Amino acid sequence: MSANVKSKLGVNAYKVDPESHIVINHDVCKTQCQLKFCAWVCPARVYTLEADGLIHIEHDGCLECGTCVIACRSDALTWRYPKAGQGVQYRFG
Amino acid sequence: MSDKVDVVVIGAGLAGLAAAYHLADAGIETIVVERGDFPGSKNVTGGRLYLHPVRPFFPSDFWNDAPFERAVVKEKLTVLADRASASLEFSSDKFRDEPRHSFTVLRAKFDQWLADQASAKGALIISKNKVDDLIYDGGRVVGVKATDSELLCDCVVVADGALSFLAEKAKMRAARAPRDYAVGVKEIIELPARTIEDRFGVGAGEGAAQLFFGAITAGMLGGGFLYTNRESISLGMVVSIEALAHHEPHIETPELMETLKARAEIAPLIDGGNLVEYSAHVIPEGGIRALPQLVGDGILLAGDAAGLGLNMGITVRGMDFALASGALAARAIKDALSHPERNAVESKEGAQSQDSPLPAASLAAYTQSLRDCFVLKDLQTFAAMPNVLDNARMYTKYPEAIVNILEKMFWIGREPKDKLSATVLREAVKGFGNLDAVRDVVGMLRV
Amino acid sequence: MDIIVCLKQVPDLQQIRIKRETREPVLEGAPFVFGAFEKNALEAAVRLKEKHGGKVIALALGTPKLKENILEALAMGADEAVLLTEPAFAGGGAVGTANALAAAIRKIGKFDLILMGEGSADNYSGQIIARVAELLDLPQITYVRELQMTNNRIHATRDLEDVLEIVEADLPVVVSATSELNTPRLPPLTAILRASKKPIAIWSPSDLSLAKEQVGASVAAVKTLSNLAPEQERKQILFEGDVDKAADELVKALQKEGAV
Repeated sequence: MSANVKSKLGVNAYKVDPESHIVINHDVCKTQCQLKFCAWVCPARVYTLEADGLIHIEHDGCLECGTCVIACRSDALTWRYPKAGQGVQYRFG
Repeated sequence: MSDKVDVVVIGAGLAGLAAAYHLADAGIETIVVERGDFPGSKNVTGGRLYLHPVRPFFPSDFWNDAPFERAVVKEKLTVLADRASASLEFSSDKFRDEPRHSFTVLRAKFDQWLADQASAKGALIISKNKVDDLIYDGGRVVGVKATDSELLCDCVVVADGALSFLAEKAKMRAARAPRDYAVGVKEIIELPARTIEDRFGVGAGEGAAQLFFGAITAGMLGGGFLYTNRESISLGMVVSIEALAHHEPHIETPELMETLKARAEIAPLIDGGNLVEYSAHVIPEGGIRALPQLVGDGILLAGDAAGLGLNMGITVRGMDFALASGALAARAIKDALSHPERNAVESKEGAQSQDSPLPAASLAAYTQSLRDCFVLKDLQTFAAMPNVLDNARMYTKYPEAIVNILEKMFWIGREPKDKLSATVLREAVKGFGNLDAVRDVVGMLRV
Repeated sequence: MDIIVCLKQVPDLQQIRIKRETREPVLEGAPFVFGAFEKNALEAAVRLKEKHGGKVIALALGTPKLKENILEALAMGADEAVLLTEPAFAGGGAVGTANALAAAIRKIGKFDLILMGEGSADNYSGQIIARVAELLDLPQITYVRELQMTNNRIHATRDLEDVLEIVEADLPVVVSATSELNTPRLPPLTAILRASKKPIAIWSPSDLSLAKEQVGASVAAVKTLSNLAPEQERKQILFEGDVDKAADELVKALQKEGAV
């Protein structure tokens, strides 16, 4: 599944900002969030719940939909749009 | 000295560009700030644009050169059970009459064209720039902050899309509730024009639209969509974020797309096609109940940022609302700027008044004009829609019931068949003869 | 000190996709930008101006969309712009482009320094600097990674891969920039707003007293026969299951292919 999403994201045009526009406060995420919605609602599978209970982020595939920030019910997630001219650039939309 | 313009529009989507087009047309100095590489590069639609509602807001020849994909002449609704489906296809010569009823669109191309129209009227469109915050003076919005610079203005049009971080910063809307938003995922699948016309039985330049309900969302509020473009198909799924978050067992959003594509009803339609883009976007679906405050001192919201989207089940709208709200925002700003009282004040302060945001009261005509036209009227009329659609039976039980009836009708087995009337009646009672169904029908009658 | 910076409008390479069946690049819809080296040249020009005074003129060749693109150059600090957007200029290759630029530079008349990128972002023929310098009978300094001006002389460090060569020359001179020269600034919103009020001239071949035979497709010395992405064949083998086992299998497969 994961490989499949990756290959789909591979057809998109991205201008990747090395600095992530998504930041997780792992202390809050680990202690206050039992739900971890982000691990499955994200269409780009940006978030992965690792064995150590931490959410791992791969921001460079982000489609900038914001589903995660709507679904997340804790204050663990800081999600901004990438910097101007960065991130996904839709050629069809 | 600070730089100042009349109006700053945030976001080069349909609402922002429609506003900019009309503002510039009225001679108002307008700047559109877009965070993407070009207008449209961050924008996604399903998509189809219903043109009739917005025709009154633009010159009659305005759409002649628009880069539409195909004029939709065929509407198809497919109800999916686990292993069967039933479709209703509707076609009418009314869809072929000029001016056309609706068109499929791809936003990267369409929004660039609309931006060119706004530029031609004199609006300055600045891409690759992001507004990070608003500038306030005593609670009134007086400008915008972008990377390394501040720009003052009389009014800010916030058209930054469904997430609208700026409406949030301006405290004009409540925290986003998962029940008020759906996530849409879409694949663009490239196919030759002729193949598309053959598969969907449409003429050159004509297209089809198809919506899918039922088993594909596993009981979650949502559905699938398919729109034919010139040389590609837009295929996607829309699901309530609330439903997705709480569904047991968990379903990963990308899997929904795979479920859809694997269906026997869909696979042959996209066979041999190349995936050329995979996109996702959220859609405001809270309806009139989730409407934010639309106007403040020196600021107004338009398009998705104002929550102007309407899922009526068989039709899904948003782009027409965006275009109309942008045009109405421009009209309200133009009237407020040219109001005699304001000009009296301005001339006293000198022609180049440095901080004179339009007071909310002078922009109130915007909200009223949205109420007076289809935008808020339709949202009001279909206020119960989100509740009606948010019902697992709609996506599981009823599709099964419908295909059961049809299967009994069409299936010839070894056993002698019952009378058709008896079969239909028995299956209908099984599927719909219960209190829940009666309640659901009554609910539907309210919309 | 007056500086002319030559800019070429090119499609944003990051936005171009390759059509799978035909291997053709799809340019339709791709936004236009200036090449990275040209932005280095412009940044260098603006820095020299900021230090020594004078003005920077952006001289750009491209489609009518240049009127929008040029705002970026003006916002970065160019004072005025000259655009060559007539379709008659298009497709001229290195010969036609150099003829057009040299004629425009002659028409501008007053200049001390001409800056350009070491190569364009799309064709990267790297010929324009030599051709323009020759047409204008000026000295040229190529592949410049450091640039200073003292007492009206240009001091430049040339990047020759394994050698750095330091040279100097009297003005006027033509200089080409490499990416090491500087980091181009990102113009803020207000700079772009102000840029929209700076003077922009659009010149046609006749404005430059150029005959039809000197620009455009007819003078292109090199004809492009085909422009396709290289053929790619993927094995599409997926090793699944236990990671250690899969890794072993992968290594074996790579050895069999002679890749490792």
